[in-house]
Amino acid sequence: MNIFIQGMGCVSPQHTTGGPFLAEIREYEGNRLKAVEPDYKQWIDLKLIRRMGRVVKMGVAAAKLSLQEAAVVMPDAIITGTAYGCLDDTGVFLSKMINQQEEMLTPTAFIQSTHNTVGGQIALLLGCNACNNTFVHKAFSFESALLDSIMMLREGAVQHILTGGVDEITDHSHAILSRFGLYKQAPIRNTALLQSATKGTIAGEGAAFFTLGTEMTAHTVARLTGVSTLYRPADIPEITGALQVFLSSHACGPEDIDLLICGRNGNADEDGVYEAITQALFPQTAVAGFKHLSGEYPTAAAFATWMAARILQLQELSPGVLISGTAPAKIRKILICNGYQGTHYSFILLAHPNI
Amino acid sequence: MEKLMADLKAQIVAQLNLQEVKPEDIGDDQPLFKEGLGLDSIDALELIVLLQQHYHIRIANPEQGPEIFYSVRSMAEFITAHQKQ
Repeated sequence: MNIFIQGMGCVSPQHTTGGPFLAEIREYEGNRLKAVEPDYKQWIDLKLIRRMGRVVKMGVAAAKLSLQEAAVVMPDAIITGTAYGCLDDTGVFLSKMINQQEEMLTPTAFIQSTHNTVGGQIALLLGCNACNNTFVHKAFSFESALLDSIMMLREGAVQHILTGGVDEITDHSHAILSRFGLYKQAPIRNTALLQSATKGTIAGEGAAFFTLGTEMTAHTVARLTGVSTLYRPADIPEITGALQVFLSSHACGPEDIDLLICGRNGNADEDGVYEAITQALFPQTAVAGFKHLSGEYPTAAAFATWMAARILQLQELSPGVLISGTAPAKIRKILICNGYQGTHYSFILLAHPNI
Repeated sequence: MEKLMADLKAQIVAQLNLQEVKPEDIGDDQPLFKEGLGLDSIDALELIVLLQQHYHIRIANPEQGPEIFYSVRSMAEFITAHQKQ
C-alpha cells in the first residue's frame, strides 16, 4: 500500500509559509535560529491566540497549511511528535511555582504546558474528535509519529492522517543546552555552518505537518516510502548496514537515490558519520543539508521531510542546500539520513508520486 | 473608585493577555463574560488569582463569582467593600 503526502505546512527559521520554495536563504549570525512566524490571525481566532504559546501557534499554523494544501477539511487522526513539548509555558508555570511558593498559580500556563497541547489545540480548532496521539520520544518523536501514522493507514481504518513534528527553543532551554555543550561558543553565520570544523551546532526550532493518505489525488506532493530508526549504533558500519537493509526492504539500493539529504549540523564530532556514509554508499550521489536552514532540534527531520517532499514536487533544488555533487535533471527518490547527538539516527525515504 | 477601576482594567488586560484590547476600551459596566468582553471559565480562574495577588482577597463563596465578576465596576465595589472590613 502506498502512503502519499497530500499536503504539508511548515513554520521554520526560513520563509516557508508562503512564497517561492527556499528561494532566498535567511541568514543568521549567532548560535540560535528563530522561527519566522506568520500572521497567525489568518488561522486562529484572536481570543484563542492570547492563550497559545509560540510552539502551539507554530503547530496550528503548519497543520492548517497542510490541510489547506491537501484540501482535507477533517483528518481521521492527528498524530504529533515533539521532544520538548510546550517548553515556554512549562517554564512560566514552573517559575511561578517557585516564585509564588506553589500558591496562587494561574491555570493558563499549566493547561498550555503539556506535551499534547499542540495536538489538542489543533483538534479543538478543527472540532476533530478522532484519534489524537502525541509521541514524546526525544529525537525519534517525529519518526514515531510517522511510523504510527503509516501503520494506521495500512490497517485501513483511516483515510487521512495529520502528522507532524514540532519543537521550540526558549531562552531557558537555549541556556541549559548551551551549558551541555550542544551549541557553538563562537558566533557563526548559518550559511557557513556546514563547513564548520569546530564542536557544537546552532539551535533551531519549527513545526512541519503532513496530511497523509493512501489515495493519490490532484494535490499529492510526494510518496512516503518508508521510515526507520536506529538507536545508539556501535559504529559507522552498523549505520551503513542498517541503511542498506532499509533501502533493500523498499526494493531499492544506494544507486537509486537521486538526492541524499543528510543531517550535517556543523559539529566536528558528529559530521564525520555523514562523510563516511556518503563515501561508503553514495560516492556519486548529490548530497544536500538542511540544518543550516532549520537549526538543530530533536524533530528537525520534519523540516527535512518537508524540504524533500517539496523538492520532489517542484523538481527544484535551491543552490543553498546542496553540499556536494549535482542533482540529476529528474529527481525521483530522496533519502533523508538524519542523526541527533550521535545516538538517534533515522532514515526516511520519499519518492516522486508517479514512480 | 475611578482609580481602582482604571487599575483593574490594566490588570485584566495584562493577566488575561487580551491582545488588541486596551484598558480604556473596557467599559466600567460592560459585562466581562459572554457577550461583553467574551471571557470564559478559564479567565474566571485567572480573575480569582488576580484578586488574591493584587488585593489579597480570597473569595470564600464561589457562588458569589458571577456577581463579583460581572463588570469592572462590580469587581471594584467588591474590593472596596472587602477592604473596609
